[in-house]
Amino acid sequence: MIPRTRRGHAGVYLTLVGLLAASLVLSAAVGAFTFTPARIATLTAQLLGWVPAAPADALDRNVFIQLRLPRVLLAGLTGAVLGVSGTLMQGLFRNPIVEPGLVGTSAGAAFGAAIVFVFGAGTFTRPLGTLAVPVLAFAGAFAATMIVYRLSTAFGKVHVFTLLLAGIAVNAVCGAGTGFLSYIARDPQARNITFWNLGTFTTADWRGVTLVAICFVVCFGWSLRAGKALNALMLGEEEAAYLGIDPRRLVMQLLVANTLMVAVATAMVGVIAFVGLVIPHVLRMLKSSDYTFLLPASALLGAVTMEIIDVVARLIIPPAELPIGIITAVVGAPVFLAILLRQTRQGGAWLQG
Amino acid sequence: MVEVEHVSYAVGRARILHDVSVRFQPRKLNVLLGPNGAGKSTLLKIATGLLTPTAGLVRYMLPQGARALDTFPVDALARTRAVLSQHVEVAFPLAVEDVVLMGRYPHYGRTPTARDLEIVAAALDLVGMTDFRGRVYPTLSGGEQQKVQLARVLAQIWNEGESPRGQKCLFLDEPTSNLDVHYQLHLLEIARGLRDVDCTVIAVLHDLNMALQHGDAFFLLDGGRVVLETEDATTIPRDLLERVFRVRADRAVDSETGESFWRFRL
Repeated sequence: MIPRTRRGHAGVYLTLVGLLAASLVLSAAVGAFTFTPARIATLTAQLLGWVPAAPADALDRNVFIQLRLPRVLLAGLTGAVLGVSGTLMQGLFRNPIVEPGLVGTSAGAAFGAAIVFVFGAGTFTRPLGTLAVPVLAFAGAFAATMIVYRLSTAFGKVHVFTLLLAGIAVNAVCGAGTGFLSYIARDPQARNITFWNLGTFTTADWRGVTLVAICFVVCFGWSLRAGKALNALMLGEEEAAYLGIDPRRLVMQLLVANTLMVAVATAMVGVIAFVGLVIPHVLRMLKSSDYTFLLPASALLGAVTMEIIDVVARLIIPPAELPIGIITAVVGAPVFLAILLRQTRQGGAWLQG
Repeated sequence: MVEVEHVSYAVGRARILHDVSVRFQPRKLNVLLGPNGAGKSTLLKIATGLLTPTAGLVRYMLPQGARALDTFPVDALARTRAVLSQHVEVAFPLAVEDVVLMGRYPHYGRTPTARDLEIVAAALDLVGMTDFRGRVYPTLSGGEQQKVQLARVLAQIWNEGESPRGQKCLFLDEPTSNLDVHYQLHLLEIARGLRDVDCTVIAVLHDLNMALQHGDAFFLLDGGRVVLETEDATTIPRDLLERVFRVRADRAVDSETGESFWRFRL
């Protein structure tokens, strides 16, 4: 027997999976090189070893396998990471306006990664090897998120104004740090930081895809188990504790898992804001605030959205590409303001905290 | 069924409870009384396991034996006792049914069983909120929200059909302070009804007359100590009430029902 409020979840999942398949094909097809769906099927089959590769297709295949496919996969994974992260953060802060960009996770990751870009090769990051960027991104993201979380939950309740102000302050500090680094950086590095501060999939490679995929699978897999606990947390920390949940442990585990996947994704593609805000919001409006539904659904919808945004980024000003972060900000910021406005108008008690 | 032994609680240098020992009576409505700052809510939170006492211990007497709180696994504890707080706010649009289903979280893994859903329906029915099951929780009035929360905590400790029934315990932390008189009476009536299903109720109540009229056992706290413990409301000495609550008290008699009640003045 399924509760009345859960009926139709399967339908949403099926629709999202269908959309994801369609958006993956679309994203694989368009760009400087166009691949027909039939061509994509052949090349994918060749890649998987189902059919032998023909030598005549070498160039075509190289473009597809070395450039297009990693980019498509990285975009999808990043979208899923940001969607799930927004959902987790909103559960953690018990507030629908929270997302990784707001609470400093992204800016902290950017700062950490910029340190590696500028001071990089052959300094203190040497023992970390090629993992230096993700590791420092994680350290920066975790520190920033932790500060904002501690400040905004000082008295057991989430104080929204403290949350917003702490977010602004931490974002400003991280932004200043990144700005300082790009100021003292030599030209190619500085250009890198600028590009990457706006988010881009142009640098996608298989190593990045693998790294983000591993982090996503581990963190997402863990967070799926936290659905019920996140629901209980909506009632407040005390009520969750009465229901047999250890809120402090849950919050710590959530923060680590969430920061890990966001930091690694940010280290690969740069800062992409507002996706984590909009995805859960749309799903809440469509269906429900039940986290056992929101978590898987936000992964799917996040991936679909990011594929579409990436397609737009490739098509809008050819042959150049628009940075992803510009598109997400243009679409996401009005949604953010709309949520803020609506909740304020409702006199939402959560505003007073 | 709940015993508090030599419990003290201090925050920094402030001592909130001094060596409190209380034996809450099984299948009774136990009422904690006292002025603001007497330590009632702290004692309640210690008895629920939310706060750890600085000294002393809390024991739950269960059919399978006594169990100290510090050795009670949190999920087993959550199936034994539930707590209704003063007011629970939810910022998200959540259906009433989903809120009540949370009471069943300690009982099921990934998906609720048919039995869990039956209990949710029965709990909503008991508090008279069946018609509201599809409504969005944050849009309800304060009284309606509190009834939904009551249904949730009832679902949490719902005694299943098995016999002998498990011993359950319901804590009420000033549950009626935001409610009008109708909701207050309704809530207390439901709480009294629980005594018949092997449930011990422990409540912090502010309205003295309401408490004395409906309670079975009374524990009066003042300055972090239990100053009176009685089962008979009529034996509470007037001078003690006057001193503890810093008021002047007169016993009056309702001319229609013959029941006596207290009238307070400064």
